Amino acid sequence: MRWNISDIVSLLKNSLKAILKGEFLLRLNAGRYFIHIVYTFFLFGLVIWTSLMIETTLARVEANRVKLQELQIANVQKTYAVASLGRRTEVAKNLIRLGSDIQEPDKPAYLTDER
Amino acid sequence: MENERNIKNVGRDRIVERDRIGIVLYVVYLLTLFVAVAVIVKVVFIQKYYEPEPEIVRKLTPENTRVPVYPERGRIIDCQGRILAISCPIYQFGMDCTVLKDSNDAQEEKIWLDKAKDFSAGLAEIFQDKSSDDYYKAITEARRKGKEYIKIGYPVEYGTYRKILSLPLAREGRFSSGVYADRKSTRRYPYGKLARRTIGFVRDNESLLSNTHIGIEGKFDYLLHGEEGEEWIRKTDYGKVRNNDSTYRKAVDGKDIVTTLNIDYQEIADQALRSGIEGQDDLEGGCLVLMEVKSGAIRAMVNLLRDPDTGLFEESKNLAVGRKAEPGSVFKTVTLMSVLSDGYVRTLEQTIPTNGGVVAGTKLARDQHIVDFERSRHTKEISVLDGFKMSSNYVFASLAINSYAKKPEKFIQNIYSYKLGEVFDFDLVGLASPKVPTPHDDDFHWSDTSLGSIGYGYTTEETPLHIITFYNAIANKGRMMKPYLVNGPSVLSSSICSKAVADTLVRALKAVTEDGTAKRLKNAKCSVAGKTGTSFGTFKNGSYQDENGNRLYQGTFVGFFPAENPVFSIICMIYSNPTKKSFQGGGIPAIAVKEVIDRICCIDPHWRTEYKVEAAE
Repeated sequence: MRWNISDIVSLLKNSLKAILKGEFLLRLNAGRYFIHIVYTFFLFGLVIWTSLMIETTLARVEANRVKLQELQIANVQKTYAVASLGRRTEVAKNLIRLGSDIQEPDKPAYLTDER
Repeated sequence: MENERNIKNVGRDRIVERDRIGIVLYVVYLLTLFVAVAVIVKVVFIQKYYEPEPEIVRKLTPENTRVPVYPERGRIIDCQGRILAISCPIYQFGMDCTVLKDSNDAQEEKIWLDKAKDFSAGLAEIFQDKSSDDYYKAITEARRKGKEYIKIGYPVEYGTYRKILSLPLAREGRFSSGVYADRKSTRRYPYGKLARRTIGFVRDNESLLSNTHIGIEGKFDYLLHGEEGEEWIRKTDYGKVRNNDSTYRKAVDGKDIVTTLNIDYQEIADQALRSGIEGQDDLEGGCLVLMEVKSGAIRAMVNLLRDPDTGLFEESKNLAVGRKAEPGSVFKTVTLMSVLSDGYVRTLEQTIPTNGGVVAGTKLARDQHIVDFERSRHTKEISVLDGFKMSSNYVFASLAINSYAKKPEKFIQNIYSYKLGEVFDFDLVGLASPKVPTPHDDDFHWSDTSLGSIGYGYTTEETPLHIITFYNAIANKGRMMKPYLVNGPSVLSSSICSKAVADTLVRALKAVTEDGTAKRLKNAKCSVAGKTGTSFGTFKNGSYQDENGNRLYQGTFVGFFPAENPVFSIICMIYSNPTKKSFQGGGIPAIAVKEVIDRICCIDPHWRTEYKVEAAE
């Protein structure tokens, strides 16, 4: 079948008329695919919703990352503070401050008989 | 009929009603269609022809910024897992004093200023550098002048940072208070100044000094630093979000470095050396190195140099590694090893004529020790052991000349084979190259005194590290271990002398601490073998003495302990400024070494094990 320009013009004219009358989809018999169309729109909605959820989650991840970083910093500070307290002179000073009699040993340690 | 007419009327009404709904729906449909067409046309127009204002583009486009991700620098750890260097953030607070200034009404402004007053009070309490009024005045003044930045206090740690953020005003956030903090990572050293020069540091690239990489930090910066990453952050309605796509490159944290240092021993050594040199105004500094015999692991490395401004001793230069000088009498052990190995001396009891302390055929100075020896012992002969114990220059010059006069190269060759003439690969940058002259050096005038003076520790130049490495090899029965702080253990020479020679040397070195120049170590908590040495530095006029009779002393004690089964070798060296006082190796260095040995014996597991065995027996 050969298509003439007049055919195309008449098709466009008919389509336009159908659109204006609101019969375009009916003429295409789109009712058969109604459920698919609804499903497609549902998927569009789902994609948009998922995207929003992902963005919210990522923002939460980011906020948690900042919190985690803060905790790591606090941990490093504590580690540093604890390490500083491990210095021999520092330990000796703290022992005196706490009223302990423990001092630097003046002879090597030995194992007792109970062992 | 009536009924039929009624039915017809109802039917017509229904049709009219249906037509009316149809028209309404049709109009709605047309409107929707019009809107749809309009939207499509607009979309096409926007896509194809519309060019928005750049400002609008900027505001509507989600902001994507490239943010570098800095790796965490690795830690430096001692041999027992204690942290010697760690990276911690510090925070410098600043304030944009113009915040809300224009939008606040009079009431709101008053409230803001009241909170600023409370904030100032908090700052004064935390920083204690200014009064509350001073802070408040600075803030209000800056607000009046429209200053967008004023510095608050000094850099603070995380705990203080949290405290400041919880103060009134600051707790309301950056956009209401104008208070914010810049974070910067800094290197912290939990053990303060202990081993600071050995641990080292890395200066910023902006530093004007060329020497930016010092110590372990500098040498192993390529491992400690890690690898920088990058990420793209975009602003969303829910906050900032990182793009988790291929643009994200994770930072690789630096590796931790485990060193051989034992921070307890380091502190003991530091205290011992400090107690010896502090209070001695004529001393320039000193160093002390403690090394494990079997492995060459350096357990402590103290370097103290007097700060010219403060007069205090600081770890500002690595003397043990970078300072070479004539070693003095500690080099006599090298001569002794050489003559023993080459068979020129068979036993330590072998004697040579005293000859009034003058080495015949040379211009070497008379050895006054020999004169005293002749007088006290009524003899004209002296054994090698006695010469070693009293550290006689005459005896060792004679041994060197008598043995190597015809072939001085052989003696020099021996010195090189003991690794005292070359630089080895060490874990710190800056190991100085020793100087050992040869008869054929173009830049050295070899004279009749050269061989003799090398024999007793002059003319050559050695670093403390080279000397301790040599003595460590004696303690290790001739096996020379390379000193190391990170990479090791490794062997420098499998045998620099025979075991018999090493045993003979140990006997000689033990005699020095029992009955020689290092008698101060006789009563140490374990037996010590070692040698003292005192040498003079050269002044600019080329002499060992300046015009006022001052000398530059370098006093050394080097040895190992326990003498019978050595575990550690140790060297302590002190350097004086020009002085008329005497700083001998048997003085401050020997006392410092004794203190180190006494304290280490009490805490090192080696001695605990030995005690246990004895107890079991």
